Amino acid sequence: MRFDLKVALRYLTANRLQSALLIGGVAVAVTVFTFNAALINGLAEFQIDRVVGSSAHVTIEPARIRPALAPAADGTSRLFVSQVALQRREQIKQWRTVEQIIDTIPGVTGVSYNILGTGLLSRGEQTLPITFKGVEPARLGAIAPIDQNIVEGEARLGINDVLIGRKLAEDLGLRIGQPVLITTDQGRTRTLTVRALYATGVDSLDARLAFVNLDSARVMFDLPEGLTEIEIKLADIYAARDVARQLADSTGLEATAWMDKNQRLREALEGQGSSGNIIKMFTLITIVVGVASALLLTTFRRRPEIGIMRSFGISQRFVLSVFMLQGALIGIIGSIVGCFLGWGFSTLLANIGAASGRRLPVDPALGQYDIALLLAAAASIAAALWPARAASRIDPVEAISQ
Amino acid sequence: MSHVSDLALLEVRDIRKIFIDKDFQTPVLKGVNFSLQRGEMVAMLGPSGSGKSTLLSILGTLMRPTSGSLRMLGKELTALAERELSDFRNQQIGFIFQYHHLLPDFTALENVMFPHAGRLWRETRAGRERAAMLLERVGLSERMQYRATRLSGGQKQRVAIARALMNQPALVLADEPTGNLDRENADQAFALMQEIQRETGTTFLLSTHDRELAERCERRIVIRSGIVVDGAEPATSRVEASSGLRVIEGDVAPVIDHTGLPSTSDDRRRA
Repeated sequence: MRFDLKVALRYLTANRLQSALLIGGVAVAVTVFTFNAALINGLAEFQIDRVVGSSAHVTIEPARIRPALAPAADGTSRLFVSQVALQRREQIKQWRTVEQIIDTIPGVTGVSYNILGTGLLSRGEQTLPITFKGVEPARLGAIAPIDQNIVEGEARLGINDVLIGRKLAEDLGLRIGQPVLITTDQGRTRTLTVRALYATGVDSLDARLAFVNLDSARVMFDLPEGLTEIEIKLADIYAARDVARQLADSTGLEATAWMDKNQRLREALEGQGSSGNIIKMFTLITIVVGVASALLLTTFRRRPEIGIMRSFGISQRFVLSVFMLQGALIGIIGSIVGCFLGWGFSTLLANIGAASGRRLPVDPALGQYDIALLLAAAASIAAALWPARAASRIDPVEAISQ
Repeated sequence: MSHVSDLALLEVRDIRKIFIDKDFQTPVLKGVNFSLQRGEMVAMLGPSGSGKSTLLSILGTLMRPTSGSLRMLGKELTALAERELSDFRNQQIGFIFQYHHLLPDFTALENVMFPHAGRLWRETRAGRERAAMLLERVGLSERMQYRATRLSGGQKQRVAIARALMNQPALVLADEPTGNLDRENADQAFALMQEIQRETGTTFLLSTHDRELAERCERRIVIRSGIVVDGAEPATSRVEASSGLRVIEGDVAPVIDHTGLPSTSDDRRRA
């Protein structure tokens, strides 16, 4: 064993209570760090899951014509604005090409080719404005798991069928097999039969949306060839931005990742993340202050001994190393203990939540233990630097005569 | 003359030390001159405040003089950088303090080994063996694994003597080494140092208030008010200086070649 390590260990074991308190202090800080991470990240995961589980990860829409600012020769700038023709629908006409491009992208787990349109759904005297989503019957569950959430009827989407959410059915007093009249914004009317009711738990799906066959949607919304959107699901949701950029570049269409479509979610996540970071920062400051002050006291108490060591020619580097090692040992042992405590604590809470039926958004797997270990050890070593330098610079004559 | 200069270990020339506190200057050493020869056992006497401790700190390279020259083993120590001084101290100078100053959290054996292990950053078998041998020499082979705090005052001082000898220094500086011991232990510790000095040829410089012990040394350097007033040079030099004769044989301490102590490095003290 290195002799400096032996001396450091001896000093730590010589004053067990102080060392235990120090390690305990670091452990508590790391517990807070990891539990906080498990909670914040678990919560984020939970929120993302709710949003992303039932919506597209990347959405492709027709390219929008944006006003462009162009510098002119006379030093001024010109704004180019083109008026969108009211009659012309924005649509993706060359979607077969897009389909081929999507096929080449790895990690795509589901695609849905949709026509979205708005209209009125009437039953008797009651009329509600809703959104219709025309999808290929085989891809009904490609984005939101509609097919797995059927509560009544069957997940069949024939040319004259409509699937609606249970909430909407309740609002209109609709039952399976009943006909409904649909009037689209394009002025077309059509009578469809309610084939199934679904309940996903997401209000926007259950109360304001109806699924129809893509072929009926073509007729209803006057789009014989094109689509209004293509939705994509990915294996890795965090690859969405890259995939969106790739698709936008290769198709010239508008491709948006889920995190950019859900501004509010993103803001919420960022808010939680930064408050979590503040807590983490304070735990690190606690470690630095605690370790530094305790080691400073130790160096002060051991001044005469350090003076003696220096008197028989022990180098300043050796003394420095002894105290740095003490800081490092405290940091490493403390953070290992803290990681276990943080993991245990979040596991306990997650289990209590599961047992009581209300899922707590704590995920013990997301405790960032590696980062906690690294940062706490680094903080302890950094905290030891000052006391260790002070120790190595002790004047032996003064220290011995103390 | 060459015979005499071969024996020279330490030459102190016009060492001055002025302590400066704000605008207040306190000259403690006012031009100290003396020399030590290899294998001498020299007592340093002087009243409190005469500058003994300061001089020992300077000789031990723990403190730098304000001016003057300090030559040891042919090296001008005042010219060395901090790191070189530390190395030099480790290998050539041993310290014995009034209050033993053992490291309380270490065993007797570890305390003795410390100067050696600390230099190499690791413990070696050779170091351990030499430390054990030294502890045996000072009569503490039964107490090797005792923590320093569990030893009696006399035992602690004997461990301190063993520690001072660990790296086979050329010079051992002892600051009131018996000052904190009762008569019996003081006599024992002194006798031990004297024996080791004779066996190994290590030079000892002891500061002491104990006239009786000082009388048992081969020479007494007397300091008063920051200057050496008596005993600055070995008897041979004094004879030479006063008579003007070349002295071939002087009454320097005997240098005996059979120490019985194992060495960790080449034998550098033999003339």
